[in-house]
Amino acid sequence: MNPSTHIAPALRSGSQILIEALERNGVKQIFGYPGGTIMPVYDALVGSGLRHYLCRHEQGAALAADAYGRVTRKAGVCMATSGPGATNLVTGIANAFMDSVPMVVITGQVPTALQGTDAFQEVDIFGITLPIVKHSYIVRSVADIPRIVNEAFQLAQGGRPGPVLIDFPKDISTGMSAVVDIAPAAPLEARLPDATALETASKMLSQARRPLVIAGGGIAISDSVEVFRQFAARTGVPVTATLKGLGVMPTDAACFVGMLGMHGNGAANHAVQNCDLLMVVGARFDDRATGHLAQFAPSARIIHLDIDAAEISKLRKADVGIVSELAPALEGIRPERKANPGWCAQCAGWKKEFAWRYDAPVEGIYAPKLLRDMSQAHPEGLTITCDVGQHQMWVAQHCEFDHPLDHISSGGLGTMGYGLPAAIGAKIAKPEATVVCVSGDGSIMMNIQELATLKRYGIDVKILLFDNSALGLVRQWQELFFDGNYSEVDLSDNPDFSAVASAFGIQSKSISKPEEVSDAIEWLFNTDAAALLHVSIDPMDNVWPLVPPGKPNHKMMRSNPVKGR
Amino acid sequence: MNHTLHIQLSSCEGAVIRALGLIERRGFSLNSCSVSEADGNGRVMKVSVTSTRPGDLLKRQLERLHDVFYVELKPAVISKLQPPGIRPISRRI
Ligand SMILES: Cc1ncc(C[n+]2csc(CCOP(=O)(O)OP(=O)(O)O)c2C)c(N)n1
Ligand SMILES: [Mg+2]
Repeated sequence: MNPSTHIAPALRSGSQILIEALERNGVKQIFGYPGGTIMPVYDALVGSGLRHYLCRHEQGAALAADAYGRVTRKAGVCMATSGPGATNLVTGIANAFMDSVPMVVITGQVPTALQGTDAFQEVDIFGITLPIVKHSYIVRSVADIPRIVNEAFQLAQGGRPGPVLIDFPKDISTGMSAVVDIAPAAPLEARLPDATALETASKMLSQARRPLVIAGGGIAISDSVEVFRQFAARTGVPVTATLKGLGVMPTDAACFVGMLGMHGNGAANHAVQNCDLLMVVGARFDDRATGHLAQFAPSARIIHLDIDAAEISKLRKADVGIVSELAPALEGIRPERKANPGWCAQCAGWKKEFAWRYDAPVEGIYAPKLLRDMSQAHPEGLTITCDVGQHQMWVAQHCEFDHPLDHISSGGLGTMGYGLPAAIGAKIAKPEATVVCVSGDGSIMMNIQELATLKRYGIDVKILLFDNSALGLVRQWQELFFDGNYSEVDLSDNPDFSAVASAFGIQSKSISKPEEVSDAIEWLFNTDAAALLHVSIDPMDNVWPLVPPGKPNHKMMRSNPVKGR
Repeated sequence: MNHTLHIQLSSCEGAVIRALGLIERRGFSLNSCSVSEADGNGRVMKVSVTSTRPGDLLKRQLERLHDVFYVELKPAVISKLQPPGIRPISRRI
């Protein structure tokens, strides 16, 4: 460069540098809540290219960023002030960590000189979040900001995704620097499968009499759904899915036996307990999926595909572990012949035998049937976000998904309060989608304040609220495993949810009779803005089947032995 | 089972505590630990841990930390150590 035309880079504040680094990393939308130490960043936000969504609780912001990250497969960004703002983010960070969601979290921090003095709103958020982040930084120099932001995105989105925290002291955000911008880092290099392992896996599949695949959340995370479907078609191996794998196969695909695990389908659990070869793709042997681990798939040899080497043989010893991007691994596994037709027929038989039934003798509205009907009435596909409880399990069991990212559910952490902020994040990420939040009367109250966020930004989310006047899933466990000794699960004094929605300016309707269902569902989807449908159901309804804790997956309870449902 | 690991890690803020936190949280109790400057690059942390879990799993869990460059797992030995005891609450605070 000709020195005479060289212009020294302008001085900018740390906040300005941060905002511009976010923009350069492709960030368009961000969720957050302001306060003391993050104020310089909020100052720099004005006039920037970032659209900020003010959630009404930092947990809402973090969970919205989580869902945004799931849907876009790019890091969702949230930010909060130090102290209580930062601690309010913690549940959302843990949620993203457990479900391998790309997220970048920015927290204000007290000025460097005050750190370690118990200054006003000082907490060690770096220390608090160490076990639940993929990586974290405390920014120590204004000049480090472009590099740290680039690294944060690269780490959050690369390999097995996860949350990355940047703690941002106030003297750094107000400090000035002439640091030059740097281009965003290239994505981390893809890890490719080992050829010998692929060959061994292909041979094992060829020799297996009763092979089965578990499809996990990793398939959607790595954008391998199409490749997975081709693999399934090419090999004919029957497939079961984890909660987060649902949607990898159409529900009615002949070789698909449904979700396995505690509230899985009988067909899936019988298939998994009887298989002689289990190929686990982007899943991690979670206890809710395996039941009693020592008795899980007792006669199966294991092929485990995962991008994270630390998952191989963590819980169940793998005979072959393939640490790689899933797509090239799936493409490289080529058994000599298609799966044994006799075994496929047996799986199909189980699928028929354990097909869901919708004729349960209930008097009121039967939630599983409502969900099945709603799902089938929208062949173009819905994006459903869930809260946690019985209603979440009913969604997994009875809704059909074209793609795993149409089903946004808090799997690893099981966070009540996820549904509404997740719907906000998902709708912002994918405005053309019809987004439904299926919630429960317990869960909705955990982030009810986000109704105000829906209203403020005109976010068109449909809320389907199942009200069983109870913390239903806990009540069910007390009924079955604690001799009906109900302890703190009664919510019969719930607020009038319709009135609550109205108070936030959200249209609403309440129903309690089966004959009201179809009109009400039609109403919900025909409203031209956010709306809440409040559905009262029987407090004693249960989720079936259920694998009792400590039991193997084929020992499912299909009803309460005493009352018969 | 006793395991000894040599962990080469960055000298960035938090690297040591992050690795130590992971070791205990993943079910390995810490018998001894020393941290020293590595020649040229970062630090070396030498730990001896006890667990019923396999040492190579801990090695892979450590390796996925961004701060960790390299982990060497030394051959395992049978532990003579007792399981960690419970410390009585001090009345000093
Ligand atoms: C934040 C949080 N607290 C507690 C729990 C434990 N828990 C799991 S399900 C559940 C009940 C949920 O009640 P509701 O939202 O009404 O759903 P239902 O089971 O009645 O459908 C509780 C308390 C949790 N998962 N998350
Ligand atoms: Mg409930």
